Amino acid sequence: MMKKIMDWTLILLIFAGVTLLGNMIGYDIYSFGAVPGILVLIAIALLGMIMEEYIPVNIPAVGYIALIGIIISVPWFPGSAYIVDWTSQIELLAITTPILAYAGISIGRNWLDFKEMGWKSLIVAILVFIGTFLGSALIAEVVLRIQGII
Amino acid sequence: MSEKVELKSILKDWRLHAVVLVIVILTEFIGQISIPVGPGAILLLPMLYALAIGFGLYFTPVIKKKQSKNAEPLIVMGVGVLIAKIGVVIGPQIEDLIAVGPALLLQELGNLGTILLALPVAIWLGMKRESVGMTHSIGREPNVGLIMDRYGFDSPEGRGVMTMYIFGTVFGAIFLGLIAGLLATVTPIHPLSFALASGVGSGSMMAAGSGTLIAAYPELESQIIALAGASNLISLATGLYVSMLIGLPLANKIYALMNRNKAGGE
Repeated sequence: MMKKIMDWTLILLIFAGVTLLGNMIGYDIYSFGAVPGILVLIAIALLGMIMEEYIPVNIPAVGYIALIGIIISVPWFPGSAYIVDWTSQIELLAITTPILAYAGISIGRNWLDFKEMGWKSLIVAILVFIGTFLGSALIAEVVLRIQGII
Repeated sequence: MSEKVELKSILKDWRLHAVVLVIVILTEFIGQISIPVGPGAILLLPMLYALAIGFGLYFTPVIKKKQSKNAEPLIVMGVGVLIAKIGVVIGPQIEDLIAVGPALLLQELGNLGTILLALPVAIWLGMKRESVGMTHSIGREPNVGLIMDRYGFDSPEGRGVMTMYIFGTVFGAIFLGLIAGLLATVTPIHPLSFALASGVGSGSMMAAGSGTLIAAYPELESQIIALAGASNLISLATGLYVSMLIGLPLANKIYALMNRNKAGGE
């Protein structure tokens, strides 16, 4: 068990290093706060992964991770001001760039499966947008009427 | 979390780490390019160049099958870090969220409209499990995280959600900008309802959607901004849990149901 957590930690540290560098180059953030910032983020991710592994409930790691992130950054959590200050120095997009670099490398292997979706995925993607937008607007109409706003 | 690959082997895959490092340095150096189109803009972000370069390298000797395999768990863990970041963005705004009122939480359920509209069409077009990944939500970061976690990156569901995520990243803002303006003028639904609807959990999409609405209804500007912003925050905060508890199970149920009917009919 310890060995696995150790390996996760090391892999997350590699990811943290790459993210930190992208954060400097792409967003000109050279502040020292970015270092504890990324460390806090990978610690949250690690904790969520450990919880998924060892808590016998069917909740995915991302469910725990989001919750931990929210709890430790609410204003009344002790020390949250530091957490918010440090993590705000890590740009969201600096995290997504390495993720999609890995994704690109990985997609190559499954390229034919992606290709098979082809034009169909275009139609479906457009319908996903329309469905979400129209569905939300319809429910919003009801809610706003009940609240007497419109 | 699915682990088909040895963690040790990923750690020692220096070729993979070096390649990604170079890609990140290069793409972040180029930076963001925004091409204005009509009411929105086509957004070209470093992450999209990174995706393209990584993909291209697979077909060169630089990347071998081993790297491609080892990259997968890193995607899943990276998404974990991304979700952590989203969490600490939401936390400080918790009071605003509570102030918006629980009634607006209901509006989040409207995002399930995609399952009712897009999923049946996807199945009808002959899509298999990809359809569930693609249509269970609007496919933003938290939803990608959920699918990666449940099914892994190398799965039909994973391919579906990634396709939606990339499409949304490139065309989301321009598309939402277009349909917001169009639908607000041709349907009897109130523009403020569309303002709430444009908060789908992505800043650029919300900006495009609400921007178009403001252009059409300038007298409602401050209300549109307030509602779109609040709704965007709610989507970001609850989107993951709505997908996890309702969206994904519902999509799976409809998928199973439609495929059973199909099998019975043929």
